[in-house]
Amino acid sequence: MPVLDVRDLKAYYITDRYGRISRVRAVDEVSFQVHKNEIYGIAGESGCGKSSLLKVVSGLSKPPLRILDGEVIYKFDDNELNMLSLKDDKQRRQLRGTHISSIPQASMNVLNPVKRIEKSFQDFVSVHFEINNKAQFNEMVREHLSALGLDWDIMHAYPHQLSGGMRQRVIIALATILKPDIIFADEPTTALDVVVQRGVVQLIKKINEEQHNTIIMVTHDMAIHANLCDRLAIMYAGKIVEEADAHTIFHDAKHPYTTMLLKSLPKIGDESERESAPGAPPSLVDVPPGCRFHPRCPKATELCCKEEPQLIEIEKGHRVACFHEGGSR
Amino acid sequence: MFRRYFLPRFIQYLVVLIVGMNMIFFIPRLMPSDPIESRLSQMTAQGQYLDPAAMEGLRESLAELYGLEGSMFEQYAAYWKRLFSGDLGPSFSQFPTPVVELLKSSLPWTVGLLTVNLLLSWIIGTILGAVTAFYPDSKLTKVIEILAMGIRPIPYYIMALALVILFAFVFPIFPMAGGYSMGTKIGFNSRFILDLLRHAFLPLMSLVILGIGGWFLQMRNVASNIVEEGYVEYAEASGLSKTKIILHYIIPNAIMPQLTGLAINIGFIFGGALITEIVFSYPGIGSLLYNAIIAEDYNLIMGINIFSIVAVSTAMFIVDMIYPLLDPRIRYQ
Repeated sequence: MPVLDVRDLKAYYITDRYGRISRVRAVDEVSFQVHKNEIYGIAGESGCGKSSLLKVVSGLSKPPLRILDGEVIYKFDDNELNMLSLKDDKQRRQLRGTHISSIPQASMNVLNPVKRIEKSFQDFVSVHFEINNKAQFNEMVREHLSALGLDWDIMHAYPHQLSGGMRQRVIIALATILKPDIIFADEPTTALDVVVQRGVVQLIKKINEEQHNTIIMVTHDMAIHANLCDRLAIMYAGKIVEEADAHTIFHDAKHPYTTMLLKSLPKIGDESERESAPGAPPSLVDVPPGCRFHPRCPKATELCCKEEPQLIEIEKGHRVACFHEGGSR
Repeated sequence: MFRRYFLPRFIQYLVVLIVGMNMIFFIPRLMPSDPIESRLSQMTAQGQYLDPAAMEGLRESLAELYGLEGSMFEQYAAYWKRLFSGDLGPSFSQFPTPVVELLKSSLPWTVGLLTVNLLLSWIIGTILGAVTAFYPDSKLTKVIEILAMGIRPIPYYIMALALVILFAFVFPIFPMAGGYSMGTKIGFNSRFILDLLRHAFLPLMSLVILGIGGWFLQMRNVASNIVEEGYVEYAEASGLSKTKIILHYIIPNAIMPQLTGLAINIGFIFGGALITEIVFSYPGIGSLLYNAIIAEDYNLIMGINIFSIVAVSTAMFIVDMIYPLLDPRIRYQ
């Protein structure tokens, strides 16, 4: 049974500048399901709508990003609720922390610069529980930190006293202190060097194993996906073009865009020059007709320029949107 | 910490004071006019006849009075000696009342008026700025913004005059001038305090209305950048209450420029609100300074200046000491 079921989600950035309305089709008819205790990856180039998708799904979308259509259904302990039909800010606030939580980009400074880390923990926990007993709260945080392999001393530090990698680990600890059911991670490793990235990836894996929660991981870094994810969706120009378990994506990718992405990855021992994907992703203001990938696709035919392929299941758990791989209109 | 942070700033503070005191000593002496001669010519112009011997005697006693006897060096030494003993000399226009006495009697009026003004406008402006930065799309925000931007450029003397004309002349709700009604007994009783408040209301309003506008705009500028910071967004995403976000996240991070401004203005309190006090005939330091300038009362002018230099630089020094407690990123170095 899926914990998260996204159906035909459509969200555009709609801006009105002196009567000129522009529509950026960031998320266009996206459907996917995420199961309990899995790590689900979303990959794609910059500007393909990954982060917008995450914002809408986690209920953090703000104008000008508008949700036009679709459903985002969560199932927490047999409770089913549609995120998009929650009108009340209070209801949404109740979800965060205990049920949904997010790990933001490492380059963002998410910790209040003028308060000690301890204060951030208190603030975040006190949204859901009143901290009456300081010793009990400290015990809870200490347990959580030691489970994640973090030192208790960081609680008394100010954010600027920590290194970038340390800060990101603290943020991950903060995001998971209430053992949320679903964690959204939006490029949690960007702006960190590879060694620190590894630490962060391992930390996320550890949380997934210990807290038995579901993690949705967005990044453009295929290496991170290869290390971490159980299943993977590839996004291109606001749409999911391929979805399968990670092994299938890396060894038996069907969509030309996915193969293009994978070709750019370095391999140990292979000294031939890496191919870069030709062209650039389309502007989401006026997307190409037909298959959105056809201007860059080596296999493009006349049909691809006119008709849009649907995302269909070609074998169990493997969905592709391409006419050449059994796709239909 | 003491040696790296406190000491250099303390030395800086002393240097500012010494330079200021020196400027007060030297600038009047660089002026082409001689205060003694101008005083004497003023007397003769008024038709007083003085024979040369009496003239010479008067010249000497004036020189002694002004602290202008002896060589430049002797004068300089005498000046510092007087400063350290807290003696600013007698006032010329209200001879022989010491300058210190005059300062003492004007100070409560000015300090009372300007402290209330500063606190009121600073607190209201700061809170309004933070709240409107957090709700940039609200209608109320737009109204406050337009009002602030419209009020801010009004010169404060125009505002003062407009208030006097409107609320003291056209609609005589408030008294037109003075710090208290003639014949009221000064004392700690409800009648006097009520009278005091009635007289202070218009001057206070003329300052507070403009003050709120200024503090509001500055706070809003800083806070609207803070609102877009990751930590505010993340706190919102994590479900923290709006009051908590404003109080713990926006205000502490946006408050630094406000505090600097507050400190400088605390110092300026002791310089008086010159034009406001004149418009409302308010018996404060500003009026005192104005009258001193009109009467060419050098000692009094110097006394007021010395006093405000000490007040402004002391206020700045204290704020420098408090900064690191408010923002941990400012190191004691």
